Amino acid sequence: MGFAILAYLMEIFRNISRRKLRSFLTISGIVIGVLALTTMGAIAENFNALIDGGVKYFGSNIQIGPPDGQSASLLPISKIDEIKKVDGVAAAFPSYGFSAKPGAVNVVSFGIPDTIAASDPAENDWAALKLTLAQGHPIDAGSSGQVVLGSTIDKEFKKKIGDTLDLPVRPADAKPDFITHTFTVVGILNPTLTAPDTFAYINVADGQMLLKDSLPIAIRDQIDVSKITESISVYGKPGTSITDLDKIADRINAQVSGVKATRPSVIVGSFKSGGAIFTGITTAAALLALVIGGLSVVNTMFMAVAERVREIGLKKAVGATTRHIMGEFLLEATIIGALGGLIGYGIGALITIIANATTPPGQSTLFLLTVRLTVLALGFAIALGAVAGILPAWRAARLDPVTALRNQ
Amino acid sequence: MANLQLENLTKHYKQGKSVIRALDGVTLDIGDGEFVAVVGRSGSGKTTMLDMLGLLLRPTAGKLIIDGTDTGKLGDRDLARLRGTKVGFVFQEFNLLPTLNVLENVMLPLRYVSHGHDGRQRAEDLLERVGLTDRIRHRATELSGGQQQRVAIARSMVNRPSLILLDEPTGAVDTETAQQLITLLKSLNEEDQVTIVVVTHDLDVAKEAKRQIRLKDGKVVADEAVTPTAVA
Repeated sequence: MGFAILAYLMEIFRNISRRKLRSFLTISGIVIGVLALTTMGAIAENFNALIDGGVKYFGSNIQIGPPDGQSASLLPISKIDEIKKVDGVAAAFPSYGFSAKPGAVNVVSFGIPDTIAASDPAENDWAALKLTLAQGHPIDAGSSGQVVLGSTIDKEFKKKIGDTLDLPVRPADAKPDFITHTFTVVGILNPTLTAPDTFAYINVADGQMLLKDSLPIAIRDQIDVSKITESISVYGKPGTSITDLDKIADRINAQVSGVKATRPSVIVGSFKSGGAIFTGITTAAALLALVIGGLSVVNTMFMAVAERVREIGLKKAVGATTRHIMGEFLLEATIIGALGGLIGYGIGALITIIANATTPPGQSTLFLLTVRLTVLALGFAIALGAVAGILPAWRAARLDPVTALRNQ
Repeated sequence: MANLQLENLTKHYKQGKSVIRALDGVTLDIGDGEFVAVVGRSGSGKTTMLDMLGLLLRPTAGKLIIDGTDTGKLGDRDLARLRGTKVGFVFQEFNLLPTLNVLENVMLPLRYVSHGHDGRQRAEDLLERVGLTDRIRHRATELSGGQQQRVAIARSMVNRPSLILLDEPTGAVDTETAQQLITLLKSLNEEDQVTIVVVTHDLDVAKEAKRQIRLKDGKVVADEAVTPTAVA
């Protein structure tokens, strides 16, 4: 039986190699389609990972900012105490964000720009998106001048634990009054494939120091930055659903003046719709290429049936049923799809690996190969081959054996 | 061995408004282990009869009973199974698959019907019997016409059929090779007790049969035991 199966498979491969140019062109069609699906899918997967991180983070808390109409993103830090009194609120933290490389131009970027994020390290205990350290330790409570770097920004600046880093990075054309501060790297985070990878985390006091630096000189000394925050992150009890967080946001808006709580579902919905559009565009383009490849399989298999009419008649004469003949042609078409899929995926994977490996430090990688994408690319190629083989196989199986045997 | 009963077997084709009576009410018995030659002019219905005996064609009317089974009551799948287990075919044009080697060609029918674990051994034994052991790995295209026909005969035997149907088996080979094939067929008939029905124009083949059935316009016009003088 083993020999028979082997001989059967050998026959299929010999049939494929019988018309070398035709098979090459057909398989190339699938290869191009799967290559497009793999590379564009890897871009979509990369983008989705970024989106998923945002969905996870912003789906677990309520973002509080200034009310509509207020141009400056500044809030009295005392609002935190007011917010904590709202029913359902379990914790609230101030947060600050600054560009790590002011003046840098990112015309086209799929990643989040380098950012200095100042927040209470305790917030990590509440967030759904947990940050874990690859090296070092968290920022010490009450310390100043310490920084924990995300994985991408760490690679960009090539820092190790104990090194120092001046933040924000001084632009080449900085004015004389541009202020930077020296921070010591105390921790490096594991990759998250999302925003924190390009973040430099500092504590709240240092964040307030940078906030002061960012204020116009005319008012810089008139404002007590220790009483100001840029935004507030609010958490419910662990396990609070997004629907309940929405209700808490509504209560904050109703009970606390001078702030605007955004419903988490609104932010999450925005992330998801952006991701869906991007995934839809990239996947549709790739699938179009793949379907065109599939049509070439249909054409090839119809030609194969036309060329092998007598062979089909003979097989029926020696006992093959309609199902046997159909199965053989379907298997051949499926193998063509699988070959194209394997080669296309292999080339696509190689391209993404090389492209990611050669991405300049500090730029987010463009591609993310996932198990899901691998299964999709190979599965679709195989399924496409099988589907493309249905009509030709049906025609082959329905051939009248007498007519087929005497076909010239 | 196979026992065939043809009862008023009829095959009509419509061609436009006219009806072609390819086989017109043939009734006869072919017993176990017979060696029958079916002769007649082109268009007499020989090949149609062979196709019907091989279950490739369904009759318009009448019955074909093989070893007590009324084949008219069988579905396509059962017909295919019966064809695969009881019938072996040999064609004028050999019909070997070019992508398979000699051994694989002989083993082809084993793909479609269950067989023991001795399929490969059986195929090798048959190739030894037809004198092609040294060609076992060759492709069909690398063989002469006579060798290809011997491969086809080995293929027809691999499932231990009780009936072998041959359609002009010597039509594409030279006289000497034809004689070798006839000898081979006779040995299969006598040693393996396989029922053989051969459609032929070749008088040398016909005279080696034990019985000769002559068709004309789809009807049996002669059915007689063969003596050397009967085929003249």
